[in-house]
Amino acid sequence: MTGHRRTRRTVLALAALTSVVLAGCAGVDPEPTDSGPTASATPLTAEDPNAPVELVWWTGQESDAQKILDAKVADFTKQHPNVTIRSSSGAATTDDLLQKLSAGFAAGTYPDISYAFGSWASELGASGKTLDISAEVADPAVKWEEISEAARETASPGGRTIGIPALVDNLALFYNKTLFDAAGVPYPTDTMTWDEFRATAKKLSDPSRNVFGTSFDVTGGEGTTWAMWPQLWQNGGQVLAPDEKTVAFNSEAGVEAVQFWRDMAVEDKSVYLDQTAEKAIGLFASNNIAMLVTGPWALFDVGGAKTDYDVTLLPGTGDDHQTVSGPDLWVLFDHQDRNRAYWSYQFVKYLTDPAQDLTWNVEFGNLPLRSSEIESPEFQAKAKVTPGYELLAKNLDNAKNKRPTVEGYVEVSAAYGKAVSRLLQGQGEVGPALDDAAEAADRALADR
Amino acid sequence: MTTSAPAPTRPLGARVRRRAVGASRRAATGWLFVGPSTLVILGLSLFPAGWAFYLAQLKWNGFSPARGVGFRNYERMVDDPDLASAALHTLFFTLLYVPTSVFLGLGIALALNRRIRFIGLYRTAIFVPFVASAAATGILANYLFDPQFGFVNNALRRVGLPAQRFLEDPNQAMTVIALMSLWASLGFTVVVYLAALQDIPRDLVEAAVVDGANRWQVFRHVVLPQLTPVTVFTTIWQLIGSLQLFDLVYTTTRGGPVESTKTIVYYLWEQAFKQLNFGYGSAVAYVLFAATMVITLGMIVYSRFAKVQAF
Repeated sequence: MTGHRRTRRTVLALAALTSVVLAGCAGVDPEPTDSGPTASATPLTAEDPNAPVELVWWTGQESDAQKILDAKVADFTKQHPNVTIRSSSGAATTDDLLQKLSAGFAAGTYPDISYAFGSWASELGASGKTLDISAEVADPAVKWEEISEAARETASPGGRTIGIPALVDNLALFYNKTLFDAAGVPYPTDTMTWDEFRATAKKLSDPSRNVFGTSFDVTGGEGTTWAMWPQLWQNGGQVLAPDEKTVAFNSEAGVEAVQFWRDMAVEDKSVYLDQTAEKAIGLFASNNIAMLVTGPWALFDVGGAKTDYDVTLLPGTGDDHQTVSGPDLWVLFDHQDRNRAYWSYQFVKYLTDPAQDLTWNVEFGNLPLRSSEIESPEFQAKAKVTPGYELLAKNLDNAKNKRPTVEGYVEVSAAYGKAVSRLLQGQGEVGPALDDAAEAADRALADR
Repeated sequence: MTTSAPAPTRPLGARVRRRAVGASRRAATGWLFVGPSTLVILGLSLFPAGWAFYLAQLKWNGFSPARGVGFRNYERMVDDPDLASAALHTLFFTLLYVPTSVFLGLGIALALNRRIRFIGLYRTAIFVPFVASAAATGILANYLFDPQFGFVNNALRRVGLPAQRFLEDPNQAMTVIALMSLWASLGFTVVVYLAALQDIPRDLVEAAVVDGANRWQVFRHVVLPQLTPVTVFTTIWQLIGSLQLFDLVYTTTRGGPVESTKTIVYYLWEQAFKQLNFGYGSAVAYVLFAATMVITLGMIVYSRFAKVQAF
């Protein structure tokens, strides 16, 4: 009986173990298929473009978005009746896709196309199981150059283009007008400095009514990490040293950025520390957080809750308001089948084409893939009903530095995120804590 | 002698053969019954266990080709402060959870082991949380113990006590998780103890009463000794469960705040699937397995030695 509970736990552990193990089988096999940069420029041509082909697509999307994508599949397969595309979300959450891919590689049943977070790009690229579409995207018809540079670079770890960007996010400052009006405080503007941000947050905090000036993700995951990068860059710092073999986030500029948030959290107590990364947007929507550094994915929730809000640029150091951008990708996988490779690319090219992007990303409320789409009537219509949508789209130009794409970034991010989350919760000193994190991150980079 | 007496060998041989056929048929039937579950056990536990052992000797991120590192993953554990603190958190949880669940389980079982009105309802009520999934328990914990909007803080406020931060306070989070685990699993110890209590022969108790024992003496000298095997069993069972705590942490705190609820299994999961250190994660899993094995064997040997028939 207790069986139930225990079994569930055991099953969880076993499932974990099994996938580790299954994954092990393949990972250990020497992979002769790994095509280095030399083999990269060969264009993908089908043996027989009219032969029936079945593709598997893991979209990483929830039901609302999945519906739009299913319509795209229907449209594409109508034009190309020999192609069948089996589309599904692939995993329970987008985060879980990485595990699924790893297990899928081991079992030899990985998809042809999968959604992937940009931070996974180098790991996926190193798997030797991705296609290289460098030659294809050079075709002017793809309008590759119109996609933001950070996104293009993320899609090309080690010089091999493993997919096409699916969407691009960035961080901006959302503010809750209801709370500002109630306190009689003027709204933040695009010239606000971090010091002004701190003073405003302090003014708006009211613990007795459960109102916080702002919030920070303290899960220690990538959500914690990348929210700190813009300020590090604004202060003149860098994540990695120029040779990308060691980290540089513990520089003076880096310490200053973390110290700023630590003082806000520990001394001002104006920061809601989000332990699960799932609460802050809801609290912002329900008028409990006044200012939130977040991205386009929050638009759906705050729109649904009918929150009175608007969006402006991130606060700046001086007049530097640069942000960080996070591209996600449609990664293409190699099955040693030229027809499948050809049609996988054709489909992703179709999906990310400007005309299709308007009825997918823009319709759903993601940012458009190319800046040229901003002029379109579809975009303007969306912007009219969605405060902040246009600003977020244009804010992509403020992503001046790119998030590192070195292999091992996952561990760099984990070491840094852990340190930041401890510091914001009042444990340790900023300088030494970042030095420790740097040491761990350097070890991880050296190990790769 | 065997050569000079061929006559009796024939019928004997036939009988032996017939018996052998019967036995092998019985064996085949037996295997047919246990076969499927044996396969499941082999496939889902022994095979993965073997692979994990192999994996623990690799450095592998799940994507690139793996590299053999011998026993370096095990050596790395020796000076891994994060693992040490995860072990401490697990130990803390075990100390909170195991004794309480055993004592409380016994107490409630004693209270429910009598003929009173609505006894069926009470027994069901105690058992229901045990059937709920860990995910449901986790969601419930989040609702009850939310620092701003939770039910418990509202109740505290009503009676004029200061609000607590519960799952967001590094000093309270593990206690809250232990509390929720207890709530969810108490049904098990209660049911086991109830069954054991009803197994105690009535005449033993009656004999003690006739001999002039009071209620406490009956409990202390008759009931309790009868329950010892069950106590050893539940203790081991709860201990194994608490060393493997993962699901409730995952659904509530994700190891936070400030890693105060990061248990060993959560840590190894995070190593393998978040940081893509599959080799190291497997090595930690193996050491946990070995530790659990040693503790369990130790308790079994002790109970054999002490003549307690728990297994």
